[in-house]
Amino acid sequence: MRMRYRFRVAMREPTTLIGVVMAILFAYLIIVPIISILLDSVQTQFGDERRTGTETGGWTSYYLIRTFASPIAGIMFWKPLWNTLSVAFSAIVISVLVGGVLAWLVSRTDMFARRWFATALIVPYMLPAWTFALAWTTLFKNRTVGGQQGWLEAIGITPPDWLAYGRVPITIILALHYTPFIILLFGSALRRFDSQLEDSARILGARRGRIAWLIILPLMKPALISAVVLIFAKCLGEFGVAYVLGLPVNFDVLATSLYRNIGSRQTGVAGVLAGAIMILGILTLLVDAWLVREARRYVTVGSKGSMNRLSRLGRWRLPATGLAGLFFVFAVALPVLTLFLSTIMRVPARFAMDNFTLDFWIGRNLDTVALRQGILLTPDFWRAAWNTVWIVGTASIASGILGLLVGYAVVRTPFRPLAAFLRQVTFFPYLVPGIAFAAAYLSLFAVARGPVPALYGTTAILILALMADQMPYASRAGLSAMMQLGKEPEEAAQVAGAGWSRRMRQIVVPIQKGSLVTGILLPFISGIKGLSLFVILAVPSTDVLTTYSLRLVDYNYTQAANAVVLMVAGLALFGTLAAQKLTKTNLAEGLGG
Amino acid sequence: MPGISLAKVQKSYGAYRAVTDLDLEVKDGEFLCLLGPSGCGKTTTLRMIAGLENLSGGSLSVGERVMDCPDKAVFVAPEKRGMGLVFQSYALWPHLTIEQNTEFGLKLRKMTKSERQKRTTEVMEALGIEEFRDRLPSQLSGGQQQRVALARMLAVNPDVLLLDEPLSNLDARLRLEMRAELKRIHAAFGTTIVFVTHDQWEAMTLADTIAVMNDGTLQQLGTPDDIYERPANRFVAEFVGSPPINILDFGKSGESGGIVQRARDYLAQHHPQIAGAGSVGIRPEAIALVEGEAALAPGAFGAPVQVTGVLPTGGSWIVEVQAEGQAMFINTHVAPAVRTGDKRWLEVPPRALSVFDAAGSRIATADALLSRSAA
Repeated sequence: MRMRYRFRVAMREPTTLIGVVMAILFAYLIIVPIISILLDSVQTQFGDERRTGTETGGWTSYYLIRTFASPIAGIMFWKPLWNTLSVAFSAIVISVLVGGVLAWLVSRTDMFARRWFATALIVPYMLPAWTFALAWTTLFKNRTVGGQQGWLEAIGITPPDWLAYGRVPITIILALHYTPFIILLFGSALRRFDSQLEDSARILGARRGRIAWLIILPLMKPALISAVVLIFAKCLGEFGVAYVLGLPVNFDVLATSLYRNIGSRQTGVAGVLAGAIMILGILTLLVDAWLVREARRYVTVGSKGSMNRLSRLGRWRLPATGLAGLFFVFAVALPVLTLFLSTIMRVPARFAMDNFTLDFWIGRNLDTVALRQGILLTPDFWRAAWNTVWIVGTASIASGILGLLVGYAVVRTPFRPLAAFLRQVTFFPYLVPGIAFAAAYLSLFAVARGPVPALYGTTAILILALMADQMPYASRAGLSAMMQLGKEPEEAAQVAGAGWSRRMRQIVVPIQKGSLVTGILLPFISGIKGLSLFVILAVPSTDVLTTYSLRLVDYNYTQAANAVVLMVAGLALFGTLAAQKLTKTNLAEGLGG
Repeated sequence: MPGISLAKVQKSYGAYRAVTDLDLEVKDGEFLCLLGPSGCGKTTTLRMIAGLENLSGGSLSVGERVMDCPDKAVFVAPEKRGMGLVFQSYALWPHLTIEQNTEFGLKLRKMTKSERQKRTTEVMEALGIEEFRDRLPSQLSGGQQQRVALARMLAVNPDVLLLDEPLSNLDARLRLEMRAELKRIHAAFGTTIVFVTHDQWEAMTLADTIAVMNDGTLQQLGTPDDIYERPANRFVAEFVGSPPINILDFGKSGESGGIVQRARDYLAQHHPQIAGAGSVGIRPEAIALVEGEAALAPGAFGAPVQVTGVLPTGGSWIVEVQAEGQAMFINTHVAPAVRTGDKRWLEVPPRALSVFDAAGSRIATADALLSRSAA
């Protein structure tokens, strides 16, 4: 009787049913692929039977040993690991130093054009990171690599390899790209900082330097830690920059090493590498959780009356503004301008009228070997553009709606373990860098399994992977929207006599319209510029703009690649700005997407 | 109109028992207040009546119809119970105008459009929100929103109207107005109303019957006068009333000669039939101050006190006294003729003594004895 009663109460509404369906769906889309790739790393893959001495599918430690302890382990794992870590740490140090100063200038001083800079200095993050990589090659490429010359080479200066490729440029570019993180997170913490804390120290006789060191910095620690950890996690999965700039000098990071192993069908080793990247990602966020908890003990919550007084820069006002301007020039203006100019110049770095042309955009019958028309007249480009819109669009709409449903199920279901499971499973992809996640998808869906056909080469695999990858943001957005709404408006309708579907149609969805739009728009924009997920899963016929541009890079169609990247960057930039205007949200909140 | 009956109702969340063995009858057309401190289970009870929470045990019926009974595997969904519920936060639908909010429930019932509009207008007029019909809830003040929340529920003529602290978000003046309004609505519509509040004055002024709850159990069910004059136990006595009731606790009598000892002696001397007294409660307004022991009325309880403070509260005064080692409050509506430091005797008529046993329950037989002695 009791069981029947419980069942009746639970199933009276589809809430729990929705929750159960969601749980099964995400277990399949998130957990199963990861298990699959981890199994790949300890089971003999097709074709490796002689090496491992077992049947296909038999247990083996061959791949683990190969990756961690064989003669080629250095090239495959240890060197890339060292490169990843060292590049990430150097990039973090630079962006903390540069971003810290800029954050302070923007949020606490009377620097000229503060408001403008507050947005302008964030732009590097809105652009895809490898935009900078292409701009860098356009400028610094030397004779080590064929294809169109770099500008410096073209005017007779040969940049050394260390400047043109590898560690130095990758570090600089990642630092530039992630500095906005520091400006945003550190800056918003600075803005919330109560000037009265500073004043108290000053009244007690402390000088500015001491105040900064003893009062402000310690209190800023949590914000700084989060920003640093976020950057580190992003660097772990960073693929595009390292691919463009590292390849010519065999400078591998974990993400590119994984890519190469997948490319050369080393599925087992790829599994080990993907697992290693995942473990690093999870460890990082655990460390973050621990550090932040430690730091929270003295976190200040700005009271309503907290004051934010701007420091007067006096005679430093102009130089300070110059510094911010300089960052903008190097991180935004110069790369974008370089890319743009490269697409309208026949010969690199020759600034003569007759050298300018629109051929690479709209020309016909060019005297090139292939791609004999401008990019805007190339069908492949439009197909990639269309793919981008509909693949990313479908995935974003699906994950936005699923996110809201997950939020609904989590908040409403009376069955708590289900709610907890849904929260955790949808958050999990956050811990897994995109490229490792893509590898996991490849591992699961490359062949037909049971009723599910082989999805590799279809758009379905892209949509599913992207959806799962976006779930942490989508489910969080849905959850917070549902939490904010509370259950009362719905209960009021219920008491008034409205059944479930009517409540959904007339109360819940209309009220959540705004957050649903945000929940679709933000992932859409970040999906447009995403690369690492697609690069593993896309084939030429399912190319999106980012992978298409990478293919163009591979074929050395420099101008065309730059043009496509420029368009992606434009879409991402204006999309973000428009979304920000439309939804009146602050970009800081949508960070990480 | 049907009454509501709860029999042995239980509600637990895991190991936590929110409501235990609750038996409660709400008569047809009655205005019942569920009163208690926060976390006492009153809102949970209301939500169980509405069907927003299901029972863990016992049964709940409205009129003849069983609404919720785990043992019989019966559960009627909230949308099928035909009740009205007003939330503390009002829970107006932010995307619908006042008119649409009010009309919502009617749309779910089979009604022609003209009937619907007639009814909507009628209710909006009755509650004085007609002029805001095209506005959105966010454009209304708290009191106006409150009226909309009421109108929305009244529009469908519910058999039972449930109110969850609906006045607690209003300022004092508005609250007073809305109380009067609620009483008027109750008289006009004849609806059975269950009203949850932690505010004793609200309960006193509004209710026909008050159910005082604590720790998930019903402490007392009675009229406002009953609750105040004859609290069933010490919890009710201390929860209701401001300034609070003065308790002389026999369990913690200090040195002999204290007021507690005096009270004990008084009971033993005057009312030896009362056995097992654990404490005595005296309402502040039942206490008078007299010049000395000689001035005490015959049979009255008395004790020497020293005035430690006179606090005017506008129209009445609270006199704070120290009575042989225990602070006590006296409430009076006549300007007290005493000043801080004065020495007096307090005088309490026997029928104003509430006697509780050691466990805190009222000794009901004592009431009759005490009031007879006054006659």
